[in-house]
Amino acid sequence: MAYEQVKVKTPLILRLLPVLSVLAFFGAWQMVVDREIVPSTMLASPIQIFQLFLVKWTEVNPDGALLSQHIWTSVQEAFAGYLLALLVGIPLGLAMGWFVVVEGLGRPIFEMIRPIPPVAWIPLVIFWFGIGISGKIFIIWIGGIVPCVINSYEGVRMTNPTLVQMARTYGATDWQIFKQICIPSALPMVFGALQIALALCWTNLVAAELLAADRGLGFLITMGRKLALPDMVLLGMIMIGLTGVVIGIIINYFEKKLLAGIRR
Amino acid sequence: MVDIANEIQQQVRERKPLTPAAMLKNRWFLYGVSLMFFFVVWDSSARMFASGLPRPHEVVLQLWRMLFDPLAGKSLLGHVWASTQRILIGFTIATLVAVPLGLMMALNRYVNAIVKPLFDLLKPMPPLAWISIAILWFGIGETSKVFIIIIGTFVPCLLDAYNGVRLVEPELYDVVRMLGGNRRDEIVQVCFPAAFPAIFAGLQIALSIAWSCVLAAELVSARSGLGFIIILGMNLSRPAMIVGGMVVIALVSWGMSQLVSVLERFVCPWKREIDSP
Amino acid sequence: MKDETHPGQTKIVCEDITKIFIQKGKQRVHVLDHISLDVKENEFVVILGPGQSGKSTLLRIIAGLETPTEGRVLLDGREVEGPGPDRGLVFQGYMLFAWKTVMGNVEMGPKLRGVPKNERREIAAHYIHLVGLDGFENHYPHQLSGGMKQRVGIARAYANNPQVMLLDEPFGQLDAQTRYFMEKETARIWETEKRTILFVTNNIDEAIYLADRIVTMVGKLPGRMDVVYNVDLPRPREHTDMAFLKLRHEITEASELTL
Ligand SMILES: Nc1ncnc2c1ncn2[C@@H]1O[C@H](COP(=O)(O)OP(=O)(O)OP(=O)(O)O)[C@@H](O)[C@H]1O
Ligand SMILES: [Mg+2]
Repeated sequence: MAYEQVKVKTPLILRLLPVLSVLAFFGAWQMVVDREIVPSTMLASPIQIFQLFLVKWTEVNPDGALLSQHIWTSVQEAFAGYLLALLVGIPLGLAMGWFVVVEGLGRPIFEMIRPIPPVAWIPLVIFWFGIGISGKIFIIWIGGIVPCVINSYEGVRMTNPTLVQMARTYGATDWQIFKQICIPSALPMVFGALQIALALCWTNLVAAELLAADRGLGFLITMGRKLALPDMVLLGMIMIGLTGVVIGIIINYFEKKLLAGIRR
Repeated sequence: MVDIANEIQQQVRERKPLTPAAMLKNRWFLYGVSLMFFFVVWDSSARMFASGLPRPHEVVLQLWRMLFDPLAGKSLLGHVWASTQRILIGFTIATLVAVPLGLMMALNRYVNAIVKPLFDLLKPMPPLAWISIAILWFGIGETSKVFIIIIGTFVPCLLDAYNGVRLVEPELYDVVRMLGGNRRDEIVQVCFPAAFPAIFAGLQIALSIAWSCVLAAELVSARSGLGFIIILGMNLSRPAMIVGGMVVIALVSWGMSQLVSVLERFVCPWKREIDSP
Repeated sequence: MKDETHPGQTKIVCEDITKIFIQKGKQRVHVLDHISLDVKENEFVVILGPGQSGKSTLLRIIAGLETPTEGRVLLDGREVEGPGPDRGLVFQGYMLFAWKTVMGNVEMGPKLRGVPKNERREIAAHYIHLVGLDGFENHYPHQLSGGMKQRVGIARAYANNPQVMLLDEPFGQLDAQTRYFMEKETARIWETEKRTILFVTNNIDEAIYLADRIVTMVGKLPGRMDVVYNVDLPRPREHTDMAFLKLRHEITEASELTL
């Protein structure tokens, strides 16, 4: 064969630079705190945060719950809102894409609600539901539903019209065409929505917990601020980031499995 | 004249007989039904829940009153401007830093190798999670609000500028080189213009994030802005004020994203007909 | 007879060009194998080969966009070291600047060389007229048909006044009618403004219609040169001419084993 294996090298410095840059970032951060260039009421060092991280697994105070409880609460809320958003948003978007009646009735209301950021719902939701879990799920849901509807709608809209016409000439009903042609061809777009909606739900979780919570990672951050404990604030931020990444990886994994199953 | 008018009317009638089936297929008719349905349901459920939900006309009245009676020293327009101003400042700073940085990352491997990992490290943290640390750092004044907006809008601006350049068809650079251009020409003639649409897409996303950020910051602590109005409505138990604030938020944020679209059409006239149909 | 129309001067010399790509996936792809080719001044040479025979790669090497692994390219006796405005390349995809109008695209070459605005507008207008796009100066590429886009590409290359034109399957994506029309146009443009042309195609008729000389390539990687045909049919040519058909038959026969 004309195809042989060859090693192509990226320059050593290009492979080292990312590592150096991350190390420098953490080093500078640690130093800034150690030398007290920034007062300790404003910033905690990475090491302090890590210590707090270890402590919080067993220590309830001062915020009233273990780290694992905070994480679990947040994950529960986010998932409830996320699943509800998928359950409502995807069928709605698919139907809006194909049935004129559904689009005509659904679209104006959707377009009116869409420009309102989920955050703006918080006061009304607290007013309605208090600070319980249902209000938070509502806020997460209303943020997550938007990409689900839009992507499913666009997915159906992008169906190859020739396929639809072909089905028509074979005498398929509207419902059959929707089920057999539109939904399968919309699937890639729908799967795209899964990740987008998840990221949005996770962001909105912070918003939801910002004002109304007694547990959860967002609450941990807020408590940290109220008690002026920067290490707690930063720990909360980092845990939100980390948990979000982990959930993203898990969803991605299941998405791939699901896709492989459908293709087969 | 009259005859011609009649004739036209007749033609229209003939083409569209008003049967129920045809009406169900007419978008505009359905839109009308939908809106009517929405407001009727809203109004009747507001009457049932009495205190939890304001009736539509109460919201309008409330907005009308807020236009003239100052709340915390500002009329409604004053509050709109307060929020808008914060967004404009934060958004401008973020754009001015993030877009050039994104372009540089795409054009230079070394800049990319230094900045990208840090960026990847900070990216998963939702911008709203920064509110508390911002308040610890900058207090509850304007600075912390602008800071949040910068943090939130930085990511999409940078990412889209970066991807915009990376996705440029590489043979277009060859075209410039064949025509006798140098590296600078490649960047000016190909990189920048080709990345514009992506940059604008980033700006649109950044704008909606900026609204979330400014509202969240105002909810936490503020004495002006649209977020302040809705949280005040909550504290005073005046749902008409909350919903009125939400309506204004929707209108203003919609208007601003429309403005960005107009700007895009102005800057990239060549894209006009690609995405319109 | 040939030597009178192309008085002596050798324009391009390809000396024993071999190209091996080393891909990101860490594989070696041997694309060109010992290609040697001379092109005389103002000669119209067509490189005829099936897909994947390294035609584009050869053209890109002559253009200076790729460096050959072995061998070298001489232009007027000097070695080619990079791309330059002395050669004009018309790309296989249209590769127009979507953000520029037809005028903006065509005047790009002179603009990059710092020609003042009025002058380059004049040059561009001349070539837009030459390819028959008058009235479309202010259209954006997405408003043009495929054939029109390709003509913009050709005008853009010509407007830079290169000594050598390199065309890479310029009509590959056109329908048969437009293609035939564009071939006639190309022959006409070449008659009006003589240049050295190296034209790549996979279409035998197109090759015979246009070429002074046809170089066929072998169809499997690595691409190798096969037979060279001199086409001394009188111009303008007819696809249905006896001599045309005879040559077509000859090439088909000879290349059937390799194409
Ligand atoms: N930059 C590159 N890196 C690796 N392989 C390449 C590169 N450019 C081309 N090739 C390989 O070289 C081979 C020949 O490519 P080339 O484009 O020259 O063929 P071609 O004759 O122009 O084909 P076509 O008629 O389809 O245009 C292909 O198999 C391609 O995969
Ligand atoms: Mg090719």
